[in-house]
Amino acid sequence: MKPDAQSATPLVQMDSIEKHFGGIKAVNDVSLDLYPGEVVGVLGHNGAGKSCLMRILSGAMIPNEGTIRVNGEVVDIQTPHDARDLGIETIYQTLALADHLNAPANLFLGRELKTRFGNLDDNRMMAEAVSVLKRLNPNFKNLNDPVSSLSGGQRQVVAIARAIYFDVKILIMDEPTAALGPSETAMVGSLIRQLREEGIGILLVSHDMHDVFELCDRVIVMNKGRKVGSHPIEDVTKDDVLSLIIKGDLPHDWAPRSQKAVQ
Amino acid sequence: MADLDRGAEPAAWTLKLSAGSFHKLSALLTLALLIFAFSFGNAAFFSINNGLTVLLQTSVIGLLGIGMTMVIITGGIDLSVGSVLALSGTVTGLSIKAGIPVAPAMAIGVMAGAACGFINGFVITKMRITPFVATLGMMLIARGVALQLTGAAPISRLGESFGLLGNGSLFRIVEKTGGIFPKVVFPGIPYPVILLGIVAVAGAYLLRRRQIGRHIYATGSNEEAARLSGVLVDRTKIFAYVLSGALAGLAGNVLMSRLVTVQPNEGVMYELDAIAAAVIGGASLMGGVGNISGTMIGAAIIGVLRNGLNMAGVSAFIQQIVIGIIVILAVYVDQIRNRR
Repeated sequence: MKPDAQSATPLVQMDSIEKHFGGIKAVNDVSLDLYPGEVVGVLGHNGAGKSCLMRILSGAMIPNEGTIRVNGEVVDIQTPHDARDLGIETIYQTLALADHLNAPANLFLGRELKTRFGNLDDNRMMAEAVSVLKRLNPNFKNLNDPVSSLSGGQRQVVAIARAIYFDVKILIMDEPTAALGPSETAMVGSLIRQLREEGIGILLVSHDMHDVFELCDRVIVMNKGRKVGSHPIEDVTKDDVLSLIIKGDLPHDWAPRSQKAVQ
Repeated sequence: MADLDRGAEPAAWTLKLSAGSFHKLSALLTLALLIFAFSFGNAAFFSINNGLTVLLQTSVIGLLGIGMTMVIITGGIDLSVGSVLALSGTVTGLSIKAGIPVAPAMAIGVMAGAACGFINGFVITKMRITPFVATLGMMLIARGVALQLTGAAPISRLGESFGLLGNGSLFRIVEKTGGIFPKVVFPGIPYPVILLGIVAVAGAYLLRRRQIGRHIYATGSNEEAARLSGVLVDRTKIFAYVLSGALAGLAGNVLMSRLVTVQPNEGVMYELDAIAAAVIGGASLMGGVGNISGTMIGAAIIGVLRNGLNMAGVSAFIQQIVIGIIVILAVYVDQIRNRR
């Protein structure tokens, strides 16, 4: 399960990304890579720039400096559409659902299935939605209702389904479990493991240390727009990560924990 | 799994009916009640002749209302339709005066309306001016241009064929009696009514069955979500405003044709009737909600009210009061629906 980081080409390579708003550098010279079948936790305070970085990768924001490579090739991501064409899917913290539309319409929003005459193929979209949503949550019934009338968990399921239904290679999850109960959180956890098995690279933005240590292979910590740490999960403890998040520094006496264990 | 879904479907469908069609049902009921009340008061009200007259009078508001509905669903508003209507009619009139045949001249008029709509859409999406302000500006500009072009004077003597669209009708049956006035067996369905029917069906098809319609709803429902889902939000909005402008142009041509004269000061406050029709029909000014059939019912309610109150001898001032109350009641019903 553990990716062989040295042999494969990175799925994503973000090089010296910069984004500034006026004089404020929201993202300052940050580099990041992600390998197939790897789950990387992206951590940091509110306003540390992690959401900005993720929005740049998902095409919702255009960086001022830096290059992005997907499978080793330099790409130019100008719109969410470009990102999706590269197999980059995003589950936003706000879920980004159109409240008045039903689940199938949201699932296929921007990528509607059509009949030969160019009409919307609602029957096929409904059938596809049923199969993908039932896989995630067998109790999902009210597919015809506008998503505003669904529960928080169901809305989350729709947002997740939208990301994994299409040919996803790189998945960005922004606080995917923030609005969920315990059983739904467990569902998301097992889904992440399953996607990792399929060789999908996942960037997991989360505040929940438990989730991060449970699911991630590696953590990247941001502080004030800079990347202050990138460590395999075995090398750090929760306290180390917290220190990085808060101070932007590791404790003085820090050494990679996996080596320490060997000593 | 397919069997399972089929089992679940009817339940979901009835649920949707009770929630979504509640407003439309109440609007239809209101319409039926109004017709009943007016025919009780005046025998002449409930006749084929008068029914067709109401439809004819409704057609202009109906055409404006269809475009307005699209714009309102995107979360915007188009205050310029009344003025664009006048400008389009003026452009048609001037084109005919310049020697262009009637049909292409009308097409030019409709295109002038579409151009106004495009400017609205451009100002709203690219210059990021709120729809209210942008279309308020266009309302003044289009009216000013129409008045400037004509010197505020009506353009008449446009030829008989100019009046055909507004005054002609299909299936008109006339019996020759030998006297001066032939006996009209059936007055025929006026062309504007047929036009409204075609445009309404096309509009409903666009909103329900086409991708652009789905995107119009998505844009109004959650613009940011639509953008992140790859919907070209700006293009969708511009499309809605262009359509609204073009339909205002079409309505202008119908109206001027009915008068067989181009009146550059026609259509003042029509935008408010169109908005009222959409709102009575269940469209929400917050965006994401609305449909053509509802707007058609709304336009019919306004048409029936005007006609019925006229026949009952109620003054135009009182009519305004009544329509105002209806608009507020319609939105109140909508509120109750949302609270449930």
